Amino acid sequence: MGRRKPIQLAWGVRKEGRTLWTRNAVKGVSVRDERRKKDSRIEWRQWEPQKSKVAACLLKTKLDPSRLIPKVGSTCLYLGASSGTTVSHIHDHVCGSGNHHNGQIISVEISPRMMRDLSKLCELRPGLIPVLGDARKPTVISPYLRDKVDWIHQDISVADQTKSFLNISEIFLKDDGIGLLSLKAASERWIEGGDDSRFKSAKELIESNSKVELIENVDISHFEGQHRVFVIRKNCY
Amino acid sequence: MPSLLIVRLKHEVDAEWFVRVIYDWRLARVVDEEDQIIDELFWNRVSTKNLVDRLSDLQSGRITPEARTLMERFPDAEKDSLGALSYSEWPELSDEETKKFIEASTRLAKRGVAESSGDIDRRMDMLVSANNEIRSSWTTLEARCIEWTGLFLSDLDLDEQRKEIPEIVSRSKSINDVANEFNVSEPKHQPSEEEWNTINTQAQLVVNLANQITSSEDTIRTIANDYLPSLSALMGPISAAKLVVLAGGRERLARMPSGSLQVLGANAAMSAHRKGAPPPKHGAILFSMPAVSRSPRWVRGKVARYLAGKASIAVRIDHFDGEKLTKEQVSEIHKEAESIKMKFPKPPKRK
Repeated sequence: MGRRKPIQLAWGVRKEGRTLWTRNAVKGVSVRDERRKKDSRIEWRQWEPQKSKVAACLLKTKLDPSRLIPKVGSTCLYLGASSGTTVSHIHDHVCGSGNHHNGQIISVEISPRMMRDLSKLCELRPGLIPVLGDARKPTVISPYLRDKVDWIHQDISVADQTKSFLNISEIFLKDDGIGLLSLKAASERWIEGGDDSRFKSAKELIESNSKVELIENVDISHFEGQHRVFVIRKNCY
Repeated sequence: MPSLLIVRLKHEVDAEWFVRVIYDWRLARVVDEEDQIIDELFWNRVSTKNLVDRLSDLQSGRITPEARTLMERFPDAEKDSLGALSYSEWPELSDEETKKFIEASTRLAKRGVAESSGDIDRRMDMLVSANNEIRSSWTTLEARCIEWTGLFLSDLDLDEQRKEIPEIVSRSKSINDVANEFNVSEPKHQPSEEEWNTINTQAQLVVNLANQITSSEDTIRTIANDYLPSLSALMGPISAAKLVVLAGGRERLARMPSGSLQVLGANAAMSAHRKGAPPPKHGAILFSMPAVSRSPRWVRGKVARYLAGKASIAVRIDHFDGEKLTKEQVSEIHKEAESIKMKFPKPPKRK
């Protein structure tokens, strides 16, 4: 009964069968009671696709998942960080223990209740920067950035979220940078037809934008009902 | 060391030129069309405490003191707050500055969390939600208390004397005391002493909760009268507060179309409507107004629509600092609602 050999997706991220694991940057601590396990001297933390849309997207994508993960030591923008479950896994990978990769994750969250937990997490994890404010406003984000970012994930549920995602990506995303947009059917305006038609307007909006290219439309409803992740790439000039 | 280091690189500047003032929290620079630096100002005494304020100012679209000075020198310049994002050769932060910046960003986030207690919307949400919860537990406990007492005292009139039962049970020494107080026969089977103690404590709980409801509603009234004077005058302070909480804040209620305000709290009916049922005429809060609930059902929708329109004006007055609705205006609105009722004395004919 040999365990399936883990597949390395990127530094500190691996897949074992159908589960994802990240190399825990803060040893001995779980962020949301997720499983931890030791493999020789390295501790791995399970990245649960039910709780994290990015994890679900990595498991469901038809592309090479490592394309969707930010590069080690890069600058990432995470809009709608909530209490930091997904952010902590991105941090495991981008920054690593004690931020030895010298990465940076700007995590924006509007709710003070969520920020309470997030700011605690940021103190444990150097490289993670908490920003309390409206993720749709560029001025809220810009004072924290010294360069354009390599990777954006947006997970906020408000009206016009696609529009603001494109706007933020135009301003802050590097050429060739990857952007992930999580959408929930229920927060799109209600129209006739199934979930597909609700995502249609978002898809059209992305496709009509010349600065970005839609590279994949990942259906993660298996893990998180009625959810989609749109993966875009910023075009080079 | 001078407090402001001024580096003047070019003294003569042609006013016709297109110049930009690019700035971030640490540096402000004037550059021309060819990205030549004309003037720059550094913030030299970087302290974490001031940096927190600066970041917060920048986030709300305000300008740094250095940038303001440069704007005074170059009044025609265009402002650009993107700093390093707009200009490729922006100087790197020193390790010291980076450290302070990280420290400041955590502090700013924590300050924002602490400041959320100053938000009346959030406080009202806590008060109203707590009140709702207390009221719903009171209803359950009160019903149990009545039934429990009624089990032992078979002659007690549970409808006529309902209101007095919890109070009297809570201050009696035994079930027989309760029977004597109400002038009914003592129970055929006595509860054990422990059992009576449980009945007694439960009744005390009911009484305490009733007092708690009164005092928390008084608190809500005070806050609502102050925060929502016009809406409170129109609908009563408790309903006003409940509306704001349902809408998720005063601003959101003020920006809401009156049609949405009309059906606030009619969640089940709204989702049934989406599946094809007829639309709801009013939400829970509007229904609690006598002008709506005491009207015959065929005018309720009309009255609710009218009142929702007026309520939405009232909350806009409160939110955008308008002139408060006067008593005369409020009574005129109520009169008008009454006259709608008079206009339709008979139910419409069935088609």
